[in-house]
Amino acid sequence: MQTSDVIIIGGGVVGSAIARELTRYRLKVTVLEKESDVCTQTSGRNTGMLHAGFLYKTGSLKARCCVEGNREFDQVARELDVPFKRTGKLIVGFTEEHRQRLLAMIERGRANGVPGMELIDRKRMDEIDPSAGGNFAIYCPTSGILDPFIYTIALAENAVKNGARYHLYTEVTGHDRLEDGRHVLHTGKGDFACRWVINSAGLHSAEISEMLGIPGYVIQPVKGEYFVLDKKAGAFAKIPVYPAPTERNTFDTHATPTVDGNVLVGPNSFNVTDGEDYSVRQVGMDGLQESGARMFKHMRREYYIRTFAGARPKRIDPATGEIQDFLIECRDDVPGVINLVGIESPGLTSALPIARRVVGLLREREELLPNPDFDPVRKGIVRFHEASREEQARLVAADPDYGEIVCRCETVTRAEIRQAIHNPLGVSTVNGIKVRTRASMGRCQGGYCETRITAMIREELGRAVTDVRLTNGDSAMFTGYVKGGEQA
Amino acid sequence: MKRTFTCIVCPNGCEIDAEYEGSRVISVTGNLCPKGKTYVTQELVDPRRTIATSMRVDGGELPLASVRLTRPIPKDRIFDVMAEINRHSLTAPVAIGDVAVPDILGLGSDVIVTKNVARA
Amino acid sequence: MMHEQAVIVGGGPAGLAAALRLREKGVKDILILEREHKPGGILRQCIHDGFGLMRFGESLSGPEYAQRFIDRVEEAGIRCITDCTVLDITHDKLVTAVSRNLGLLQIQADAVLLTMGCRERTRGALATPGTRPAGVYTAGVAQSYINLQNVMVGREIVILGSGDIGLIMARRLTLEGAHVKGVYEVQPYPSGLPRNIEQCLNDYHIPLHLSHTVVDIRGRERLTSVVVAQCDERFRPIPGTEEEIPCDTLILSVGLIPENELSLAAGVELDARTRGAFVDEHYQTGVPGIFAAGNVLHVHDLVDFVSLEAEALADSAAEYLLCGSLPECSLEVKAGSNVGHVIPQRFSATRSFTLSLRVRQPLKDVSIVVRQGEKEVLRKKMRKALPAEMIQLPIKAEKLIPGVELEVSAE
Repeated sequence: MQTSDVIIIGGGVVGSAIARELTRYRLKVTVLEKESDVCTQTSGRNTGMLHAGFLYKTGSLKARCCVEGNREFDQVARELDVPFKRTGKLIVGFTEEHRQRLLAMIERGRANGVPGMELIDRKRMDEIDPSAGGNFAIYCPTSGILDPFIYTIALAENAVKNGARYHLYTEVTGHDRLEDGRHVLHTGKGDFACRWVINSAGLHSAEISEMLGIPGYVIQPVKGEYFVLDKKAGAFAKIPVYPAPTERNTFDTHATPTVDGNVLVGPNSFNVTDGEDYSVRQVGMDGLQESGARMFKHMRREYYIRTFAGARPKRIDPATGEIQDFLIECRDDVPGVINLVGIESPGLTSALPIARRVVGLLREREELLPNPDFDPVRKGIVRFHEASREEQARLVAADPDYGEIVCRCETVTRAEIRQAIHNPLGVSTVNGIKVRTRASMGRCQGGYCETRITAMIREELGRAVTDVRLTNGDSAMFTGYVKGGEQA
Repeated sequence: MKRTFTCIVCPNGCEIDAEYEGSRVISVTGNLCPKGKTYVTQELVDPRRTIATSMRVDGGELPLASVRLTRPIPKDRIFDVMAEINRHSLTAPVAIGDVAVPDILGLGSDVIVTKNVARA
Repeated sequence: MMHEQAVIVGGGPAGLAAALRLREKGVKDILILEREHKPGGILRQCIHDGFGLMRFGESLSGPEYAQRFIDRVEEAGIRCITDCTVLDITHDKLVTAVSRNLGLLQIQADAVLLTMGCRERTRGALATPGTRPAGVYTAGVAQSYINLQNVMVGREIVILGSGDIGLIMARRLTLEGAHVKGVYEVQPYPSGLPRNIEQCLNDYHIPLHLSHTVVDIRGRERLTSVVVAQCDERFRPIPGTEEEIPCDTLILSVGLIPENELSLAAGVELDARTRGAFVDEHYQTGVPGIFAAGNVLHVHDLVDFVSLEAEALADSAAEYLLCGSLPECSLEVKAGSNVGHVIPQRFSATRSFTLSLRVRQPLKDVSIVVRQGEKEVLRKKMRKALPAEMIQLPIKAEKLIPGVELEVSAE
């Protein structure tokens, strides 16, 4: 049985941030992730916003963690080599009622410590982004956009670099205590023992909480659907544009440029029972087409390249159904457990502040010795597309694989794909390569590069043809050879 | 008897209305060229097709070489011919026109290579 | 920096034919840039026969058709850099490319020939609802896997769209032991050629369901089923007609889009109907010295036409290189009733040229009429005209009135 000091259940952005922060200390840290990669669920299925923190109740963990995470993110992005732009954000209104809500929002932002928010008129809006709909808007300068895949991957890779261990395809199915108080976690890949368990299971955090001995929490998955638009539409989108909040203080469909130059239109928002059903509905797309066009004047069919869905694990009060704050707890009656329930939006922005709070809870209960070898810096794959012509020439001279374009739409080279295939987490899926390099994220959606990527996975990793997977579980791409060789 | 055929001889894909008795063609209309009548006659008596597939190449720069038949074979023998082709493989190098399987199943048609594959 | 008279972007059928004709016309410095390891373009994976009936009078497979041009290009000593991707083309015809062996290349061209071909429409562009499992492939991707890589994409197949590649793949998959359950086409008529319906579907008893589409894709890991439904005349699914079909593979054959990202970078203006460049009768785009032909200009039905068009382009490009310019083409060619698009979109009325067009819907006993004002320039009677087929008409200079626009309609 493998033994660790700390086991984190769930390798999303929060679990990976916790793993990374814990490796600052002399601890044996293990992350158990049931999926094929660290960002296949909530962490990778969102708008990629670095939120400012004006939406949340003053004094709440959501507000405090978000403002804290926003403030430090330039430094974090540099340290971890995460694509990030501090774009600012517009929250637009059309009516007097909207104006009142926006003014209230500015007040709340001030109270939460969000700097620089102001109400601006259409003329200022046109200067900032003429594509935005609306008659007036809040301009919030501290909001930003980041690559949620790379951020999660970067945290995980940095954790691994500093000694953490990741186990993919490893779902926790049961929990026992040993006589000495240690935990044993049962998984499809054997048992894992540890002194501390951290529940960072996102959509499944209430179930895991109950398994660990803390029943009673309820997670309501709230699903949202999105359109991804071509970079041609991205040329018109300079800044995220959100509508004035609804009466319930939530946001409807918004249009957000991604850090790579696409545009996301969405999400809508509806309760589901199965948070992992990521299918996109016709009725959802119809609605987004209409509501998206109000926020973004270039919402046109010719720009559609993909749709996707995600789910936010909201913790609700079982009695009233009211949405609750993040829960981060360490209870004396259930020792050795740090329980995180209902970490949803703004979880991406809040990941490191949450992680520091988790470390703080641990530290209150035992002495932590600093890890003298800890290195906070993680370097990503050098992207050919983002390099200057001179740098490109140097890259090809040093590594001829940089001279072979595998993904035409996103200009991704063989060298980048190769590095992604040999990633530190041991992810081997086609989607894993995609989120690490952007290969097949462009307008042809893999029409040119997918055949090359799967061939490289087979060559580089010595995979059987039937062992090439698209993403989670048994998502086999092929059934066998056409001629000769074994058939599946 | 009357039937409409879609001629597959060329990309024109003529829709041919044919009147026939048994295998004897009485009249055809709609064909742009005489090949249409020949096609209809053949379809009534003995429909034939060519097929194209691939064969494994050992030691080649590519895993497969494409192949096709030199002459059409009876339509109802297509899957027999496929099974026979699948029993064979090639060794690099191969060149366009190489006979991969001569006179397949005694049907009077050769399987020929349609792609040059050099040694790896 | 290198200098070339003509840089040809893409060594597929259009690029190869253009290169050969340029050389025949005496152009010395010709350079083909090809992103694949070998020239031939998409023909390398089109292993079925039926190519070259017009050109060579015999039915060849795609690789054979391509090889005839490749051999001649080699004999002519025309240079072709393979494994080389063009990154950018400027308005001034500065071509930037990258190759693993040669590094970053900058080439100043006198003329640039755009022959990049086309790409496939994807599920994203259709916005088909459902999950995102493994087992959903475009027809060309499946063709590449099966014919080039020797990997089998699935066993129980549903095909959405009746484009020619989809039909060809229905037969191909069947021959290799898969079970093709049906082809579903949203339009009330097939997108592919009639002969392919006959020899790829009917021969193998594969049903074709017109006015049907896929309304849901199911399965979280590998595809488990699709839901199909009948559609009304506006292509909307009719509630209550849904049927779930278990399958492990969905093949999409829902259209081709000219690959014009580089053209846009060079400032070439595109036609919203063809999604290729606006060209004149010389196949010259709006940017002087930049030409386009083949599937990058408009999607063709037959490769034989691609070769012909590329040769006509090369005739003009050779003249451009020799004379420094081409006669101005300021008159518009308009697509009239029932005509989807026309190539070229501009002409001079001083020279003969070939008009290419497609009709909007299947028509029977129809006349394709070319007019200048009231004057009939050409009338071609056809027993049937299908959107699947490209129609080509030779327009003779002596029949044209100077200074008057042209309109083409199907009546």
